[in-house]
Amino acid sequence: MTATDAPGHLAIRGLTKRYGGFTAVDGLDLDVARGELLAFLGPSGCGKTTSLRMVAGLVPASGGRIVVGGRDLTDVPTHRRDMGLVFQSYALFPHLSVARNVAFGLEMRGIGRAEREARVREAIALVRLTGKEEHRPAQLSGGQQQRVALARALVIRPQILLLDEPLSNLDAKLRDEMRIEIREIQQRLGITAIFVTHDQVEALTMCDKVAVMNGGRLEQLGPPLDLYERPATPFVASFVGRINQFRARAAGGIVGLGEARITGAGPAEGPVEVMIRPHRIALRPASAPVEDAEGRLNTVAGTVARTTFAGDVLHYEVAVGDAMIGVEEATRSDAGPVAPGTPVRLSWRPDDTLLFAAVARDGRMRP
Amino acid sequence: MDERKPPLGLILLALPLLAFLLAPVLITIPISFSADPYLSFPPSGWSLRWYRAAFTGGAVLDVFATSVALGLVVTALSLLIALPAAMALVRLRWGWVSAIESFLTAPLLLPAIVLGLAILIVFAPLGLLATFPGLVAAHLVVTLPYALRILSTALAGAPLAAEEAAATLGASPLRVFWRVTLPAIRPGLAAAAALCFLVSFDEVVISLFLTGPRLSTLPVWMFHHVENEADPLVAAVSVLLIALTLVIVLVVDRTAGLSRTFVK
Amino acid sequence: MTAALAVAPTTPRGGSPVRPAAGPALLAAIVAVNLLGFVVPVLNLLRLSFLKVEATGTLRETFDLSSWQAILTDGFYAGLLVDSVRTCALITGLTLVLSYPIALLIHRCRGTIRTLLLVLVVTPLLTSAVVRTYGWVALLYDQGLVNGMLMALGLSAPLRLMFNTVGVVIGLTEILMPYMILSLLAGFGRLDPRYEEAAMTLGASPWRTFLRVVLPLTLPGIALGCLLTFVLALSSFITPKLLGGGRVFLLATEIYDQAMVTLNWPLAAALSMVILAMFGLALVLYGRLVRRIG
Repeated sequence: MTATDAPGHLAIRGLTKRYGGFTAVDGLDLDVARGELLAFLGPSGCGKTTSLRMVAGLVPASGGRIVVGGRDLTDVPTHRRDMGLVFQSYALFPHLSVARNVAFGLEMRGIGRAEREARVREAIALVRLTGKEEHRPAQLSGGQQQRVALARALVIRPQILLLDEPLSNLDAKLRDEMRIEIREIQQRLGITAIFVTHDQVEALTMCDKVAVMNGGRLEQLGPPLDLYERPATPFVASFVGRINQFRARAAGGIVGLGEARITGAGPAEGPVEVMIRPHRIALRPASAPVEDAEGRLNTVAGTVARTTFAGDVLHYEVAVGDAMIGVEEATRSDAGPVAPGTPVRLSWRPDDTLLFAAVARDGRMRP
Repeated sequence: MDERKPPLGLILLALPLLAFLLAPVLITIPISFSADPYLSFPPSGWSLRWYRAAFTGGAVLDVFATSVALGLVVTALSLLIALPAAMALVRLRWGWVSAIESFLTAPLLLPAIVLGLAILIVFAPLGLLATFPGLVAAHLVVTLPYALRILSTALAGAPLAAEEAAATLGASPLRVFWRVTLPAIRPGLAAAAALCFLVSFDEVVISLFLTGPRLSTLPVWMFHHVENEADPLVAAVSVLLIALTLVIVLVVDRTAGLSRTFVK
Repeated sequence: MTAALAVAPTTPRGGSPVRPAAGPALLAAIVAVNLLGFVVPVLNLLRLSFLKVEATGTLRETFDLSSWQAILTDGFYAGLLVDSVRTCALITGLTLVLSYPIALLIHRCRGTIRTLLLVLVVTPLLTSAVVRTYGWVALLYDQGLVNGMLMALGLSAPLRLMFNTVGVVIGLTEILMPYMILSLLAGFGRLDPRYEEAAMTLGASPWRTFLRVVLPLTLPGIALGCLLTFVLALSSFITPKLLGGGRVFLLATEIYDQAMVTLNWPLAAALSMVILAMFGLALVLYGRLVRRIG
């Protein structure tokens, strides 16, 4: 048995969805190993939900294969796929009690009453809803409905657990709690899972691997740290975390930025996109002594254009030649904000400079 | 919603008009308790003789039984035929859905007098005149559009995500329909059933063309009775019909909502 | 395994409980009823209007224009047509005037009162036309409620309120009011009381507010209600037959008499086509009107 034949292993090959002339998902290729939690991350309309619905069989694929544990499911109807799907809207059956909602999938499988009741009890306990068995969905809070949906999807012991933006309808505090809880349950059961989200924090904090999607295509697939530190494309760099982005020209591995010359990993010649994370930049008044005697850091001179105090951090916008560079520094009790108009020196490690061959895009910092 | 009260002048203007609207329905109540052998108002005395006559006279009971049986069969068939059609129209996103819908509800636009004549002419050579199947078929032509419209609205409001959830949990399409879709549209089904029954039970113009001495319905019998002798017997039957109508109006209000069903 | 992973075109399959292929089967029964009970009979009616009926009552299957000739040249039918249109127009106007205040009141009410008023409007709508016409017989005939009250007030002889056009107009107006009220209500959606308040703060009297603000905003509902009422009045049969007592001739009663009494089906069919043509005409007029109202 090869790795991709292992039970619980999901292999997606060339998965494509076309609506008329519009391609929603374009040749998606990826593997999710058994017990792994993978995020589909991307802006709305990137094809992440469509991909998930194709895996669940709710949307027919225009092309490609979906294989779970060596079995090709592409042409298998939804109800025989054995996948647990947690819907964004929960989609609980409004006319059934919590217990009957959770029992639904077991009834469909013709599982006997005694076992069914035991498993329902166990699943409800797993999501900490014991005592709410006879409630109707409408009597529960959003977070509780979410747990019922999770229990209902898990009780059938699906091969794959699919979660479609499950936290987007919860308030911020509950979202943090559920994030941890879903991850814990997923790891405890060792179940393969896909988590669709547009929230990079959810993707980075919960998942083993993240598939960043854009315009129906897979931009990058990797562990959260890789995406953040070694983004494969400018899109990934700007979508995951905050980043400065501007256009410059490279010659002989050196990039001109205003008066300064900086270095970084990337194309050595031609127009480039320069990207630097704002909190990796150190900001010192121009009058302060130079700490980088060996000249190992990239250093540019500029003038503070705007200072914004945001509690934990200070945001600066610094004019460097034609470009505007955003800088974030942690606030300190021993030094106040640097006032606008102050000449400053910005410095950062060459490794923190991301260079990409230029594509058409404007040169502002992205949130 | 706003708290503004309607102006007093409007209320004073509307009340007599409402009385005008309800007058012919309300007057049947005192007349039904008349002791007179003929129609007169006010009656010279009160009695239950016309209710007794309605329940003991063979003619009324016969046509009443026919109308009830007809209404029940037509209602059952209407739901059985319109529900799958509504499923297809609502769930399949075909480009020409609205064209099919207009085509299927077109019989409602045709005057009953024209539809009745047209059906008479086609049914006569088929031996369907004054037969139960003939009446069922003719009534279906007018009840199906109502059923289709109410059930389509109900299905369009049913939660698609819950159906998908049931499918992911292993329910086959038939079981999804049975276990999730059907419970969700129960109010729409009740409203459709109530209206179909009422439309069939009250139908008179088309039935006039298709009934005969062998087989008649209650409204047709009432029509001929009023045409010939307007005695209080019809009033007693009318009161029973009005009570039935009121019950059905309340059923529709409780299930589908009066505003949503009658005010588009 | 390798074969399963090879990229190959797949057949589409929906997650919806209804599969596209099932569509025709699901629609088959309703389309069959529609074709056999509506399309075929109506087309057959059109064909029949061009056939001839013998004195013996048998139909002859040859092309013949005598029914149409009778309608177009016989003064009786021209008069019938004009009478029908005039009577129905009168009924439509009366229905509008009597329904408008009720609709406005319902529009202004909320909650239980609104539901109660709707029940009062919808119950007559769903009550058999035979029952309501019978109620009008009891109200309008010589010893009925209205004449009884008038005589008590000193009238010497009863007014003839039945078996003439007066009775038909009164009865049909009342019978069609629910349709008008519901159409008006549907059109009142745009009517926000704040517009009226705005007009009054600008110095308009209640009457002028009604003429300049309320009425223009409700014109689409009025147009729809009038179309519906006119069309329904034209095709009404029960009320003209019972309240007209065979002395009021309208298109619909004539169709019934030709079909069931004289047994001249081709003429009845041709008259049916005339009604349908007038429906079409009313629809066209309505479309023009709505476009002008905007």
